[in-house]
Amino acid sequence: MIGLTPALSHHSCQVLVIGSGAGGATTAALLAESGVDVLIVEEGPWIEQDSVVPFSLDQMDRQYRSGGVTVALGRPSIAYTEGRCAGGGTEINSGLYRRPSEETLDRWRTGYAIHDFDDDTFYAACDEVERSLSVQTVPGRHTPASERLRRGAERLGWQHDEIPRWMTYPDGDDAAAGRRQSMTRTYLPRAVLAGARLLCDHRVDRLILDRARAFRAELTGPGQAPATIDFEHVIVCAGAIQTPALLQRSGFRGLVGRALSVHPTVKLAARFDEAINVVDDVPVHQVKEFSPDLSFGGSASHPGLVALALTDSWAAMREAVTSWPEIAVYYAAITSQGRGRVVAIPGMRDPLVTYRLTRRDRDLLGQGLARLALVMLEAGARDVYPSFKNAPIVSSRADLANLTSGFSAAAASVMTVHLCSTVPMGSDSSRAAADSHGRVFGADNVYVNDASLLPDAPGVNPQASVMAVALRNARRFIGEEL
Amino acid sequence: MTTPPFRSVPDATVITGAAGWLGTALTHALALPGGAWSRSGRIRTLVRNRVEGDRLVALGSAVEPVIGDLLDPGSLAGLFEGLNGDIDVLHTAGIIHPPRVADFYRVNLDGTRTMLDLSTRHGVRRFVHVSSNSPFGTNSHPEDRFRNDEPYHPYYGYGTSKMQAELAVFEAAAAGLDAVLVRPPWFYGPHQPPRQTTFFKMVRAGRFPVFAGGNQSRSMVYIDNLVQGLLRAELVATPAGSAWWIADERPYTVEEIVETVGRALVDEGFEVRPNRLRVPDIVARAAEFADATLQRAGRYHQQIHVLGEMNKNIACDISVARGDLGYAPDVSLYDGMRNSIRWCAEQGLDL
Repeated sequence: MIGLTPALSHHSCQVLVIGSGAGGATTAALLAESGVDVLIVEEGPWIEQDSVVPFSLDQMDRQYRSGGVTVALGRPSIAYTEGRCAGGGTEINSGLYRRPSEETLDRWRTGYAIHDFDDDTFYAACDEVERSLSVQTVPGRHTPASERLRRGAERLGWQHDEIPRWMTYPDGDDAAAGRRQSMTRTYLPRAVLAGARLLCDHRVDRLILDRARAFRAELTGPGQAPATIDFEHVIVCAGAIQTPALLQRSGFRGLVGRALSVHPTVKLAARFDEAINVVDDVPVHQVKEFSPDLSFGGSASHPGLVALALTDSWAAMREAVTSWPEIAVYYAAITSQGRGRVVAIPGMRDPLVTYRLTRRDRDLLGQGLARLALVMLEAGARDVYPSFKNAPIVSSRADLANLTSGFSAAAASVMTVHLCSTVPMGSDSSRAAADSHGRVFGADNVYVNDASLLPDAPGVNPQASVMAVALRNARRFIGEEL
Repeated sequence: MTTPPFRSVPDATVITGAAGWLGTALTHALALPGGAWSRSGRIRTLVRNRVEGDRLVALGSAVEPVIGDLLDPGSLAGLFEGLNGDIDVLHTAGIIHPPRVADFYRVNLDGTRTMLDLSTRHGVRRFVHVSSNSPFGTNSHPEDRFRNDEPYHPYYGYGTSKMQAELAVFEAAAAGLDAVLVRPPWFYGPHQPPRQTTFFKMVRAGRFPVFAGGNQSRSMVYIDNLVQGLLRAELVATPAGSAWWIADERPYTVEEIVETVGRALVDEGFEVRPNRLRVPDIVARAAEFADATLQRAGRYHQQIHVLGEMNKNIACDISVARGDLGYAPDVSLYDGMRNSIRWCAEQGLDL
């Protein structure tokens, strides 16, 4: 365990980094290694990876915001999860790593007029991330649930591949033996080794500005103890929900929080004839036949989450829960044309989050869920349990017609883990909320450097995009702003 | 692409729905002396009456019409009578715009079952069933393409009846009949029924309803492309239970279809008014709602049904048919539409 900074009533630093996830840890490490005096504030605790079972309810309780239960309101409402711990989402996500496509980079560059955003530099930053996090495919055997997904896609002739992860395999080559190279094992120790201070268990309530310059942060520490931090620059990396909420609490308006973009996701549980459930790992294969509109993959499937996947049609499906070792949960994720909002409410701890799916989004969720169910039947599933109210149990191709005719997005358990775009970057101030390098419009020394900057959800697991953007902006900051 | 080897032409070919649009085109292709698909052997065609039979005999003297009714299995005794050697069945009979929803099931499902039973009993070599896009509903957006294998999402009564017919074909295949199926989308071309001339008239008058900008994707198939695909499905050895989309090379947008048909009409010497009928999406949604309500009550209204479908994407990917069958659609929309217009003119049909 690395040394944490003790709680004081007042701190000062040259650069305050708020948040210690994929954006914040990366930013802090680069700055500290350049000799900058960095203080990182993290709302959640430091939790050693070995002290918690990955993808467990215990982990949700300790490392997720609000125990993993947060909801974007809309029809349907969309449940989302955020990490709230040192390392942020990197401590709890699936560890899957995918570069954004050239089409995505071009869409961002041209759509938002992002300066100095060429593919070569961006992908060089991806190379750097991949080295730092040991991004690689599984050297040994995959989990049975991952193999099933691959087999189903293969039988249909649908494109699929194995997504590399940031994992090392010191204890064995098989998928479940991997050790996550999350921020608490990579960029955070690097930052601290270079002199950065890390203050956990402190929430930043707001930034205080004097005209266009922010100079102080007001915090709440353990036991509601108030604290302040004075700084020369502040870089907000609190994730696509908390970053705009903090900016709004600090007086920023305009486009901040106005264009939340996510990958809405629907799920199903598939039951096979033999035990396939691996409680502490997730599949690494994805079906990309319909990419980027639709992606299919495997979800965490410990018994609690299997039960959760069956609750929408509990009366018909509850008997299956005792067979959880034979069941795995899979998802269909879409790229969404809809957008959402994050609005800080005075007096409320958490912001109000809303999201509106378009008609095409809702249709695509249904088409995606049905196609995923077909993959499962081809993979040899005896029963498929889709997650929407009054869903039929699907055991044959004829049953797929019942799934498609009974589906409505409004009745589905839609969720997401990929939250982006609440402070989009670019020089087009009619669409962007921060400049091409993340400086928030309306202030001279307030920056954002996390998933909030991505102009939209990239259609793939976004951590690569988040980290490459963070490296790019941190370098620019060191070179030109200090 | 290498063409897969063809099996020999069967000693007898049985065509159901032979007096229909596809059935007539198919009979024409097989019976026309010197044609690309003309074949030796007997061509037995199921028709409902003597007038239909005479019309088919006029296409080629090898055609042997048999009068019978799919809805009355007892009337089909003569269909296989006296046939020896290899027999293939091309089952094109179906109903798409009936007065009552129940007719969908009597013709499309029960009729198919009847033919599957007869074919099994007579040791048919290969049974080719003509399905549809309708068991699969609509694509969620214009860029989506139905892959060869997709989950069922039947579009109302017709789609459900055609889905159940597919399931019956797969069941018969699993039980030992060498049955396969082709899935054509919206088709066009010579031998078209009168309802299709309405389509040309609407385009000529500039009154073809284009919804929400007309960017919807629609797969279509020219009738001769479909005949090619169907006969390849018959003659190329493939596993029983196989199924393929048979469509033109690529889907078109609705706007492109209207524009191309207009151009084909002009080039065939017709006057065409610019199309101005831009209709808000809500009209198609209202029509779909009315269609659904009527069909629940057991009734079917053709115009309302077609209007309700006009704002939908129905687009498929034919690459598996290309790979498995060597299918190569060689007629494009413009040329196919000109042929179709010319055929109407030759028949003295008023466009």
